[in-house]
Amino acid sequence: MATLIDRMCLQLVLVLSIYLGMTQAVDRTNFKTCQQSAFCSRQRALRPGQSSYRALLDTLELSDSRLTLQLLNNNKVRLLLELYRLQGNITRVKINELKPIKPRYEVPDVLITEPQTEPMSVVAQDERGVVLSLGGEDRRLYVNAQPFRLDIMEGQVLLLSINSQGLLAFEHLRLRKDTISHKITSTVASMWDKIKTVFSSSKDQTDPEEAGRTEDTQRNNEDEETEVDQPGMWEETFKSHADTKPNGPSSISLDFSLPGVEHVYGLPEHADSLQLKNTDGGDPYRLYNLDVFQYELSNPMALYGAVPVLISHNTHRTMGLFWLNTAETWVDISSRQDPAQVPQTDVRWISESGIIDVFLMLGPKPADVFSQYASLTGTQAFPPLSSLAYHQSRWNYNNQEDVASVDRGFDEHDIPYDFIWLDIEHTDGKRYFTWDKKNFPQPKDMLQGLMDKRRKMVTIVDPHIKVDSSFKIHSEIRSKGFYIKNKDGGDYEGWCWPGNAGYPDFTNPEMRSWWSSMFAYDQYEGSMENLYTWNDMNEPSVFNGPEVTMHKDALHGPWEHRDLHNLYGLYVQMATAEGQIRRSGGLERPFVLSRSFFAGSQRYGAVWTGDNAAEWGHLKVSIPMCLSLSLVGISFCGADVGGFFKTPGTELLVRWYQAGAYQPFFRSHAHLDTPRREPWLFGPDNMALIREAVRQRYALLPYWYLQFYHAHRTGQPVMRALWVEYPHDVSTFSIDDEYLIGRDLLVHPVTDERSTGVNVYLPGDGEVWYDVHTFQRHEGAQNLHIPVTMSTIPVFQRGGSIICRKNRVRRSSSCMENDPFTLYVALDPQGNAEGELYIDDGHTFKHETDRQFIQRRLRFTANTLSSSDLSPDSQFPTASWVEKVFILGAQKPKGVTLTTGGAVSSVEFEFDPVTAVVTLRKPDVNAGVDWTIQLQ
Amino acid sequence: MHCHILIAVVLWSISIDSQTIRGISLSYKRFYRERKSFLCIDGSKLIPFDQVNDDYCDCVDGSDEPGTAACPGGRFYCTNLGYRPHYIPSSRVNDAICDCCDASDEYNSHTLCQNTCRDLGQTEREEVKSQMKALDEGLRLKQELIQEGIQMWQDKQAQLRDLQRVSDDLQTQLDDLRKEDVRRKEEVDALRELVNSHRGHNSTESPVSESDRSRDGSVTVKEVQAKLADIQAEGRDLSEDGAIIRGSSVPGQPAEEEDPVVKAAISAAEKAAAELKRIEDAYEAVYMEIRDLREKLATDFGPEREFLFLHIQCFHQKVNEYFYELCPFNQVTQTSASGAEVSLGKWGSWADSRENRYGQMKYVNGEPCWQGPTRNTVVTLTCGTETAMRSVKEPSKCQYAVEFQTPVACRLAQRGRGIHSEL
Repeated sequence: MATLIDRMCLQLVLVLSIYLGMTQAVDRTNFKTCQQSAFCSRQRALRPGQSSYRALLDTLELSDSRLTLQLLNNNKVRLLLELYRLQGNITRVKINELKPIKPRYEVPDVLITEPQTEPMSVVAQDERGVVLSLGGEDRRLYVNAQPFRLDIMEGQVLLLSINSQGLLAFEHLRLRKDTISHKITSTVASMWDKIKTVFSSSKDQTDPEEAGRTEDTQRNNEDEETEVDQPGMWEETFKSHADTKPNGPSSISLDFSLPGVEHVYGLPEHADSLQLKNTDGGDPYRLYNLDVFQYELSNPMALYGAVPVLISHNTHRTMGLFWLNTAETWVDISSRQDPAQVPQTDVRWISESGIIDVFLMLGPKPADVFSQYASLTGTQAFPPLSSLAYHQSRWNYNNQEDVASVDRGFDEHDIPYDFIWLDIEHTDGKRYFTWDKKNFPQPKDMLQGLMDKRRKMVTIVDPHIKVDSSFKIHSEIRSKGFYIKNKDGGDYEGWCWPGNAGYPDFTNPEMRSWWSSMFAYDQYEGSMENLYTWNDMNEPSVFNGPEVTMHKDALHGPWEHRDLHNLYGLYVQMATAEGQIRRSGGLERPFVLSRSFFAGSQRYGAVWTGDNAAEWGHLKVSIPMCLSLSLVGISFCGADVGGFFKTPGTELLVRWYQAGAYQPFFRSHAHLDTPRREPWLFGPDNMALIREAVRQRYALLPYWYLQFYHAHRTGQPVMRALWVEYPHDVSTFSIDDEYLIGRDLLVHPVTDERSTGVNVYLPGDGEVWYDVHTFQRHEGAQNLHIPVTMSTIPVFQRGGSIICRKNRVRRSSSCMENDPFTLYVALDPQGNAEGELYIDDGHTFKHETDRQFIQRRLRFTANTLSSSDLSPDSQFPTASWVEKVFILGAQKPKGVTLTTGGAVSSVEFEFDPVTAVVTLRKPDVNAGVDWTIQLQ
Repeated sequence: MHCHILIAVVLWSISIDSQTIRGISLSYKRFYRERKSFLCIDGSKLIPFDQVNDDYCDCVDGSDEPGTAACPGGRFYCTNLGYRPHYIPSSRVNDAICDCCDASDEYNSHTLCQNTCRDLGQTEREEVKSQMKALDEGLRLKQELIQEGIQMWQDKQAQLRDLQRVSDDLQTQLDDLRKEDVRRKEEVDALRELVNSHRGHNSTESPVSESDRSRDGSVTVKEVQAKLADIQAEGRDLSEDGAIIRGSSVPGQPAEEEDPVVKAAISAAEKAAAELKRIEDAYEAVYMEIRDLREKLATDFGPEREFLFLHIQCFHQKVNEYFYELCPFNQVTQTSASGAEVSLGKWGSWADSRENRYGQMKYVNGEPCWQGPTRNTVVTLTCGTETAMRSVKEPSKCQYAVEFQTPVACRLAQRGRGIHSEL
């Protein structure tokens, strides 16, 4: 028990001290700054100016949908520029070496398919450049030859420029000069000395401290044939970790200018505001998947996942830049906010290796950018309905009896929950796919017990595999050669929870397929169909590795880990989700939670914001963190309710439940060292507040499910920044303490201690909003002070919308399957409203394969509420019916009649003149059929 | 048990009687007498009677839907013929999970629930029977243990009285010895002064015997002091040199050590001091013992001191590789296979709960956890015929929970708990 853990920890303390040192916050020295990252330092030393690259117009080739052109600068290494016009107003720009001495990494498996191209044509061409038509009315791509530069214009409006700052830089692959390779040793100091000696005659001799900064001068004095090796090009040491760089320098950089843009977003994952900040004078935003212990708020340090997508927005246009590169990446943002000038934001991307492959998603509306991005990387996986319900987790539920008693506790206190989670301690010595024999001797009995309550379980399966020849998973991976290799060709090994561990090469499709097969019921012993999976530590986390992750010179077949680091986590989740699908014969939708992610991870399940802390600031930042992810396709996002590290006070815990109940992924979770946190341990009052928050979530599940269905079908985010729906309202552009769920619900969680009120901005000139608890009506386009008590969760329904709830909250979402709906018809000032209802079995792919679902349009107009079929070619039998209708903002009717299937009946109703709400009593009509309700 | 059968018979008749109104108990039947209309039990609303149990919630108190899941916060009465009737939240009606053993909650779901009331009742009755038996036995044993406790208490009280008596004796002795000690010391001082002052007078006789004014062969302190006064009076007549002479005689051979009378007095004074020290130590020891005993006796051992007998014992249990020891009213420890002992907490207090003041013991301030708080343990006492540790758990890191069974935790009040009916 505790002492055993103590002992183990003490044994591990040397290797873990970096990782587990209980400092108050992250130890920043464990992670690189741009200055400490050789390529970033080299690249950032390059200052804006005229590009040394020119386009060789005589090399221009134009096929129907592809234009190629060679680029050249003084180093005589030719680059190949490829331009594509893609379906849906996307332009793809690729730049690679024309003839690299060996191939450079091009990211596989992120794009769902080779993007569909559309024809391009040359509109004009002279010695200064080429003008291409990108279709549309007057969308043009201008290629300027010297200096090389690309501009995209729509009519007279310049949308964006590429390389206008002249920051295109391409460290071409090269052979190492023998003199250097022999002389450089592994210690930094002597390395510098050697470099000094080797280049003693060079005019660019650099002081090691000043290393990067002198590139400026070098660039301006470029000597054609002698390319000077820069510090850290062939070897780099950080702390005690050496990075051998057998391929030498390979970094790339490119700048984008966005005229008229002041607001840019995206680039998750950072614990920072939704709106990206200027990085002038500080570090760039870093994208490098890392296991950061006790991360800090409000800084651009890298976290567990990376999505290299930036969204720009102004009142005219929303655009996206998708930089498809999986190597370590840094992004500089520089906004010009001189009121005398047109605002402009310059974005500069720097990656350590790979090629430049960038998708310009030209909008123009936010929704267009989301569909454009979805057309490239796919949409959110449609999760099982139950996974949108409440999840109860802690590190750790100790044994089967503990699980049973927590399960019982929820019933005794009448709090619903759907999933209970088991962290690493459930395994036999951190061997994933196994169970601790003492504490979990009969996992199937336990799972059956949960199944009897129509509940489910998640066990953790991490991608570090205990090196133990008696462990089947390990010995099979080893014998099949599926482990990642170290630079010398042996199996890469590092320290993680089990001690010494190997890391399966998930980039290998055969490995992924084998991994998937391990989730078969006969392979994963003790598993059942109500057991789902959590992939943690998949950055990957390596306790004794550089920056707590894998050495960059580790090998995935022909590729270095450096090339694809940010993609590892996505692959782990991909293979795990595939395993769950396969175990059910392709029938059941998977549910997999992942800590690490990349562009496209939305296709495989949910993510969460990692190891946060029980602090008000962490509660607050959960909103912008999930909003950022939502903007770049990952809708199924949440934060550990209560905070992972440390112990929340009851007020914080209650507020976190209230906030979490209105975020997509709703799971409470806690560190091993913290006291127990089940909702009933904080007195009856707090328990009642938590129960109410969870119940609100359950009642709203039909709406959440509908939003995820839309996200899955269209790529529109579930959780939306206000500006997404109100793109012309400048006052929404910086808001990140409130948000929309879909279009119709606005949530402003209370995230301040001892709060007595929140200031809510209700958008929409001429619109109205209704408080969902009191039905009080508020005008749009105003700031509103809402007084709050401990029980208040400020949520508003948009006038003009219809939301369906299931108010018979039961102990799990499955139990509510056949329950009736209550419709909340919130009228706009014109007396209209519209909404949708989606119903399917909640857990299989039959909605896709067999078109087994109901999708209905609910519309209130001219005093008539009607339900009509939005998808006549699909079918699903449902027992659910309409039990009640609230019409908010209505006038008192004289009578109400229901028409369905040719029969007309009258419907009882009540009218509350104070709130102007009409309540229809029991229309009693099946949710899947056509009907109209007429208010006379 | 007869009573139970009787209840069952009564319930049988009720269930027939009120079968039209699903989900209510006999005591609520009066609210649902079939009339034209139904008044919500909280009086908030009058609705047509056919809206009772029509699967739509009209009353805010949920009283119109006792037999459906329509009302949030409503409750459904499981008659559970043959077993215990009880209420379930109405959200568990027709949720495809069998909650009532008579299957009455799943009247409209696809789940087939078996009526398990008879078996449950049977099992429970047996359980209750054995529980009651155990309780009776426990209560009997408890009386013995209370007697044992009383005996122990009396012994302790006697012990305390004995100690008190010893302490008093020692106190008296101490008083005498302290006086004696002071007297002896004064005597020695006086003699020393006498000897020293005499040295200036060239008397052939011992100054001490000279001072034996009463000529009774012994020198009292008073006599010595009187002599001393004479000498001092003489000294005043002498020149100041006298003092010088007197002073100069000190570094020389200390006269008193040669004086047998003084020697004897010193030896007697030393002996007296030693005796005083010995008795003081003894007194201190007894005092501590009394204090400890008083402290122990001041511990709350329950209204009948029924927990008293535990305080001199320790109990053990092995869980996996750990060996746990509970010494009630003292401490809890954990010893690992390697022999390292860790304190899981020292006796703190009873964890008072409304229901039972003596249900749980708190042991606090054990060894600090690695990067965590100090260990502590909550011992929950349960009724049983044996006194033993039943289980040790660690629900949160370094927070231990011990289940401890003992007859003295048996309470008469538990007798009524075996089967309790909602009726």
